[in-house]
Amino acid sequence: MIWRYIAKHSLKILFLGVLCAVSVYVFVFLIAKGLYIPSVMSLIGAGFITYIFLSEKRYPIRWLIPGLLFLAVMVVYPIGYTLVSSFTNVGTGHMLSKDQAIDHLLDRSYTPDNAIAYTYTAFADTSGDLALILEGADQMILYVDGRATDIAWSDPRLVDEDSDGTTDRFGDYSRLTILQTVQRLSVIEDYRIEYKGTTIGLENLNEFRTRAPLYVYDEEAETMKDLQTGIVYTAREGIFTAPDGEEIYPGYKAGIGLRNFVKLVTNPQISGPFAKVFLWTFIYATLTVLLNFALGLFTAILLNDPFMRFRTIYRVLAMIPYALPAFITILVWRGMLNVHFGVINHMLVALFGSGAHVPWLQNAMWAKVSVLLVNLWLGYPYMMLISLGALQSIPASLYEAARVDGATWWQRFWKITLPLLLMPLAPLLIGAFAFNFNNFTLIYLLTEGGPAIAGASTPAGATDILISYTYNLAFAGEHGNQLGLAAAVSVMIFLIVATISAINFRMTGTLEELSKNV
Amino acid sequence: MKKTIAVLLGVLMLTGLFLVANASEPGKLLIWADDTRAPIMLNVAKQFTEVYGVEVEVQEIESGETRGQLATAGPAGEGPDILIGAHDWLGELILNGLIEPIILEPATIAEFNPVAIDAFKWGNLLYGVPYATENVALIRNTDLVPEVPATFEELLTVAAALTDLEAGEYGFLIQEPDPYHTFALYSAGGGYVFGKDANGVLDPCDIGLDNAGSIAGATILDQMVKDGIEIAGAGYGEVTGAFNASNLGMMIGGPWTLSDIKANSINYGVSAIPPINGNAPGVFVGVQGFMISSFSENKVLANLFIKDFLISTDVMLGLYIEGDRPPAYLPALAFLAGNEDIQGFAAAAATAIPMPKIAEMASVWDAWIGALELIVNQEQDPATAMQEAADEIRALLGCE
Repeated sequence: MIWRYIAKHSLKILFLGVLCAVSVYVFVFLIAKGLYIPSVMSLIGAGFITYIFLSEKRYPIRWLIPGLLFLAVMVVYPIGYTLVSSFTNVGTGHMLSKDQAIDHLLDRSYTPDNAIAYTYTAFADTSGDLALILEGADQMILYVDGRATDIAWSDPRLVDEDSDGTTDRFGDYSRLTILQTVQRLSVIEDYRIEYKGTTIGLENLNEFRTRAPLYVYDEEAETMKDLQTGIVYTAREGIFTAPDGEEIYPGYKAGIGLRNFVKLVTNPQISGPFAKVFLWTFIYATLTVLLNFALGLFTAILLNDPFMRFRTIYRVLAMIPYALPAFITILVWRGMLNVHFGVINHMLVALFGSGAHVPWLQNAMWAKVSVLLVNLWLGYPYMMLISLGALQSIPASLYEAARVDGATWWQRFWKITLPLLLMPLAPLLIGAFAFNFNNFTLIYLLTEGGPAIAGASTPAGATDILISYTYNLAFAGEHGNQLGLAAAVSVMIFLIVATISAINFRMTGTLEELSKNV
Repeated sequence: MKKTIAVLLGVLMLTGLFLVANASEPGKLLIWADDTRAPIMLNVAKQFTEVYGVEVEVQEIESGETRGQLATAGPAGEGPDILIGAHDWLGELILNGLIEPIILEPATIAEFNPVAIDAFKWGNLLYGVPYATENVALIRNTDLVPEVPATFEELLTVAAALTDLEAGEYGFLIQEPDPYHTFALYSAGGGYVFGKDANGVLDPCDIGLDNAGSIAGATILDQMVKDGIEIAGAGYGEVTGAFNASNLGMMIGGPWTLSDIKANSINYGVSAIPPINGNAPGVFVGVQGFMISSFSENKVLANLFIKDFLISTDVMLGLYIEGDRPPAYLPALAFLAGNEDIQGFAAAAATAIPMPKIAEMASVWDAWIGALELIVNQEQDPATAMQEAADEIRALLGCE
């Protein structure tokens, strides 16, 4: 019975088998790395898929699986991760997990005053187990099977087979050459030899040395004691801190509650420019969508006119800005807008004399104009493309009826074309708004947020939008990267964009009602 | 039920397969190097493998990505044993607990440029073995400016004579707004970014961007703009472009500009930036070197690789040929005694200051760039611009 089932569904079972095997492998792999949540998620995901493929009732969901998976991996997980990060202090100095940071600190050692250096000889038996003979100034230690004991050269287990003065064997263990020793260094390096109350560890290729661990950790009290100085460091917000405020790095990621959000509101360094930057972001995104849509619609209507000749060629030409990679074209624009070297000012000066020297990227107002202009050039082909499509769907009979009723071109545009276009295009326009709200590439490549504002007390430039300002905050604040704070701003931006989009959707919802009544 | 059994069978079989494939490989070195350094490392790695029979893998990784990747891959156990990077990463890497001190014999340390060793020191510990230094110097088109100006004032006179903005001809340009390239102006008068405390460690709250020296330097820049020598919009591309087209007499540039200059057959000379008001200006020096990851399982082996194989004249010269940067290893530098470019950059570096490596440096750039922008765009006077930038940085770093 079962074999017939297997034969019939062999492909499906093979697929599910591979999938589950991979997920179990990933689970074990991630557990080993200490990533518990992703590991469980991989099991749940695989289990879910297996269930869906085995259950006849859930058959239709199969077709949604790839989409759902990508949604989970590319959208839900990053959002969740950002959200979690926004409640932590992750950033420079706080990149490790607590366990990793503690391990790191416990690994540190210092060389005590009475340290002894030992040269050593390594031996290995046929199964590869190692034995070490350490020679200090006045003692000789044998380290085998994890135990250290005293030994002397006269020990009968030490054999000099060829009588050349060096020991060749220790019992069943034969002496390793330097090369063989080097190949095992990574094993030898991990040895912590306990000998008469001291710890001995590998110092370099040639010698072992007495080592004392620098710190001892008290798990109950969450304190780290420096054994060299006696100072006790207490875990405080992701870093071990001494009573006098001295901190030992590395720190670790720790939850700090709403601190990042509070900082956004209360720190004048951040909240001061926030309102100004937010206002410009809003104006910039709105104007961009309006201008781009206006120009896109205008060209679409022109190119939709059946009496225009060569319109296919024009359509192709108009698509060029959309087809070229923005990374390149924005930099080209930046060069063209250069005040002294740029071709635009060269042309303007040639046409209107040296008074037409426009400080495109140097002056706050002109820089804003430049941002809008370049974004217009980059964005209108998209608007043209979607408008062209939507124009085709407006029935010609409506225009005919309007013409019969004596409507002018202008009236036809406002009463027929625009309302009927906005219905299908509104979601796309909202999407364009959300995209431009976070259009980091344009700002970063064209103006880098600049020019600087005189008298500003924060590094927010005239054309900085929220996302580029966040970038500045995250990577140029205090000491190094403040990823937690950046995550908090990202969450705020997400809330803002979501709110604006929701309002927009509601408004366009009303438009939809309107069009039903037409 | 039978379905479940069938699937379980498959799971068991395949899991077994995967687990076998993930056997770990102890005693193998992994090096992260960027695309220019990787081939040299591969070569050295091959020699190491031949001598010790230890496998060395070289993974190519873009220089700008290294720090970020190390922060995630290191703790996950997938990081390198050895990485190549710049000394000003030290602050961040050490705070994040990502790199290990390296102990060199005093005799070995003496074989390196002291500035380069100093750059890789954090407290008393050395965290990297330097291989190259890089700094800016005065690069001039010897057809337009045959003689090295003796003073900065003379340089400006020469520059003014060569400048004709209408014709697109320039005498002397410093790329702007760029603290790194303009630093010589401030340092000559005693300007600095971070001062040192009593122990010689950089103090992030002692900010010298608004001291008399820095303001004097900013004033020189301001005057250069007013005189029409320095112009707004002169970025890296514009400055080097003008130089490579023989439209620029002199610029402040680093070794990275040379390959294009040579490709355009420009006759050039490299020399120290001449004294400003009689004071020799200091330039920022960046040092590149090898570091050992804290998460390495092979620290002793990595040390052995660096000390016995990388610290050699051959390897250091190989790195020089790929990168055009003066070697930090003196025996290799001695081989290049006849190289005028190297000597020119070395002369400029005589009074060099290592680029501050404390992580707080990250908060300096934006404010400083903003101040330079306002000066070059003539929107603010130099004293106010520098004062406000310094205050902004103090506020960012919480030093009131």
